[in-house]
Amino acid sequence: MIKFEEIEIKYGNFIAVENLNLEIKKGEFFTFLGPSGCGKTTSLRTLVGFITPSKGKIIVGDEDVTNLPVEKRNIGMVFQSYALFPTMTVYDNIAFGLKVKKVSKKKIDEKVREVAKKIKITDEQLKKNVSELSGGQQQRVALARAIVLEPDILCLDEPLSNLDAKLRIELRRELKRLQKELGITTLYVTHDQEEALTLSDRIAVFNNGYIEQVGTPYEIYNHSKSEFVCDFIGDINRLGKEILNEINSQLNTKFDTTKMGFIRLERCTEKKGEGFAKLNGKVIDLEFNGVLTKYTLLCNREKIKYLEKNDGFSFYNLNDNVDIYINPKDILQF
Amino acid sequence: MNELITKLKKGNVNILGLLLKIILIWFIVAFLIFPNINLLLDVFIKDGHFSTEAVTKIMKSKRAISSLQNSFILAFASIITVNIAGILTVLFTEYFDIKGAKILSLGFMTTLIYSGVVLVTGYKFVYGKTGIVTKVLMNFFPNMNPEWFVGFGAVLFIMTFSGTSNHMMFLTNAVRSLDYHTIEAAKNMGAPQWMILFKIVLPTMAPTIFATTILTFLAALSTMSGPLIVGGPDFQTINPMIKVFAGMQNSREIAALLAIILGLATSVLLIIMQKIEKKGNYISVSKTKAKLVKQKIENPVLNVVAHIIAYVMLIIYMLPILNVLVFSFTDGITIKTGEITANSFTLDNYKKLFQSPLAYKPYLVSVVYSLIAALLVALIAIAVARIVTKAKNKLDTLLEPAILIPWLLPSTMIALGLMMTYDAPRAILGNHVLIATPTIMLIAYVIIKIPFSYRMVRAAFIGLDGNMEEAAKVMGAKPFYTMRKVILPIIMPVVLAVIVLNFNSLLSEYDLSVFLYHPSYQPLGIVIKLATDETATVDAQAMAFVYTVILMIISTFALWLGHYDGLEKIKILLKKIRKG
Repeated sequence: MIKFEEIEIKYGNFIAVENLNLEIKKGEFFTFLGPSGCGKTTSLRTLVGFITPSKGKIIVGDEDVTNLPVEKRNIGMVFQSYALFPTMTVYDNIAFGLKVKKVSKKKIDEKVREVAKKIKITDEQLKKNVSELSGGQQQRVALARAIVLEPDILCLDEPLSNLDAKLRIELRRELKRLQKELGITTLYVTHDQEEALTLSDRIAVFNNGYIEQVGTPYEIYNHSKSEFVCDFIGDINRLGKEILNEINSQLNTKFDTTKMGFIRLERCTEKKGEGFAKLNGKVIDLEFNGVLTKYTLLCNREKIKYLEKNDGFSFYNLNDNVDIYINPKDILQF
Repeated sequence: MNELITKLKKGNVNILGLLLKIILIWFIVAFLIFPNINLLLDVFIKDGHFSTEAVTKIMKSKRAISSLQNSFILAFASIITVNIAGILTVLFTEYFDIKGAKILSLGFMTTLIYSGVVLVTGYKFVYGKTGIVTKVLMNFFPNMNPEWFVGFGAVLFIMTFSGTSNHMMFLTNAVRSLDYHTIEAAKNMGAPQWMILFKIVLPTMAPTIFATTILTFLAALSTMSGPLIVGGPDFQTINPMIKVFAGMQNSREIAALLAIILGLATSVLLIIMQKIEKKGNYISVSKTKAKLVKQKIENPVLNVVAHIIAYVMLIIYMLPILNVLVFSFTDGITIKTGEITANSFTLDNYKKLFQSPLAYKPYLVSVVYSLIAALLVALIAIAVARIVTKAKNKLDTLLEPAILIPWLLPSTMIALGLMMTYDAPRAILGNHVLIATPTIMLIAYVIIKIPFSYRMVRAAFIGLDGNMEEAAKVMGAKPFYTMRKVILPIIMPVVLAVIVLNFNSLLSEYDLSVFLYHPSYQPLGIVIKLATDETATVDAQAMAFVYTVILMIISTFALWLGHYDGLEKIKILLKKIRKG
């Protein structure tokens, strides 16, 4: 559906994105994930048409859209700031694009109300000025305004970043439901890894203008292909020389002790398993958040963090000695 | 070029935008750049060679040299007096607990609604030969000269009390944004009241005071109406002198050179000020700001003294206004003698304004000129601000400094530039001669209002969420459509405020008008000034009073609309009415 072919984007002499190759399938919920300044928003804006790449092509369907003006691409966009028009009512904001397209008044009314219903905007809210709405409601209007034009592609640039945590989770769910319902190809930009994991069919992890890895959330999380990816997504333990030596000697494994080993927190466990290495450490820090406790152990001179579900039985205090077990298959080295 | 042609072929070039840019560039070259360069050439190039003849001429002219000296003397003196008066007005109304502060504040704010030639005229009617103050003084000192209110002292007096507008606008805000916790902290550490004032309050406001000082210096340097009306033969400053020299055919380059010197001084000071502005104010470091609580002056004697000074100042501010107001309702004899009896009062003067074409013509002229100029300026400001905000190439960003040129130049220099350039056919204007046409003053009005308007409108553009235009574009809207439906409605309040404030300040414009007005279309400023001349008829004086009163009413309204959220309040009111 969408193809980025050898895209390069320059700001003056600064190369923001280099050699971007990517294919996004029809109906897919695809996320660009990465820290700020990594080129994810720039790539999105290139697809929408605000930026012309210095090299490469963008293909949508069978058409080369690289030089097509923004308004001819039929892409809907939701901005981080929402960019709602403050002098207009909610209704007029949603109807704006239809008016530009000179759709009849009756048809506009039908469409606006249909979309409003889908996105749970009440008739009462339609009459209000956008400035009278809360952040979450404004976000809905921005979304309604984009999808009322029935775009082929929907682009969302950090749409939830201005909302509080609870609302963010609520709108996240709704966004996913809506996307599946409409079946619209969606590109989503975020720096929030949890958002990316829960929403996406596939994720591209950006770093410094490059894509580090493309894959399903499961692949990205469990089979990170680089230190950056495994570090950026989720929390991770870094295993140094001492621990790797210990594991090698216990299990006869051949981890390269000149490099770091990486293991997810939840893969370090108090339960012994077949072929697991055992590490002993002293609790030097603990964070109890209700559901889980995150312990930090000092094993030899290295720190290891692990998570324990709050089952009401086992709870350790500072300076307690704890045994934890590690499956060598869970250790990643790059 | 080839790129442009291919773009044109593809239909990617915004023809309307291109045309607009060409018009703007023509305007800038024809009216902002060329006349000023021409002025320089006129002064320094004689028969194709560089010449310092004009400088020699000035050096030889006693009047020119003394006007230069006087201007700088006045400027330095007024820095001191205006700052004292200005800081006191703000302290009395905002910082100290003075009884009747609200009334004081209204009184001190009157400089915002009348200024320039109208204000000086008002002072002359109070302190002049038949003025009420002179009369009172004569009772005590029968032998005093009734024309005592002349010369340096008179000019400085008027400069002092008319020059506090900037303090009222900017310093008031600075005091209001003081963090009261800092004062409480100082008290807590045992600091006495005067120490808090001098060590904490005033230093925090230092950047603002510095800015108002420069503005005061500039205003005094380029003042026109003060010295012209009450300066007398011994105290003339640069601008009135420029006017005199410009009127004499073989002294015109002296006028031009004086204007250039004034322009240079203005530019240097404004550039210094901008450098300081960029350094910024002291930003409060406190997380939670506390509202200022007015300070009662603890020493009872000082408290009484402060009250007396405050109310004497109020009288000085209010006298000219009350005087104009009262005399606008009196008949000719009363105006001539200055003696008010029960029979003095009449509404005839006001009736005349609405009935006699001769009386309302200056108003009509000024209203038409000011309105057209205010609208044109708004259009130019919007166009340039929009181009600069969207600028992708260097040429577009250059529009900004170009459009701000008049900001650095005193109005006399602008007037002289236009006069001395378009007194002959010039190709850039299609060989039209502008001098002695009604258009030249309109152009000048537009020019002087551009910098202020542009800065306001540009700020509005900067405040816009850039994504808004992109959002409209994604939805298929063309730039002009987006401009009309999305951007303009958002910045409209600012644009309207700019139009109102420009219209208001142009209504009684004098400094430019005096050089450029068309004899059959005399604007208000000129007519009011003429009324102070010895030869003026009583009728003319009466009408000047009426003009002034109406001007003050319009100004008050304009100020409320432009600065004090009047537009917002009207909008809310209309909404309420519509909802029933």
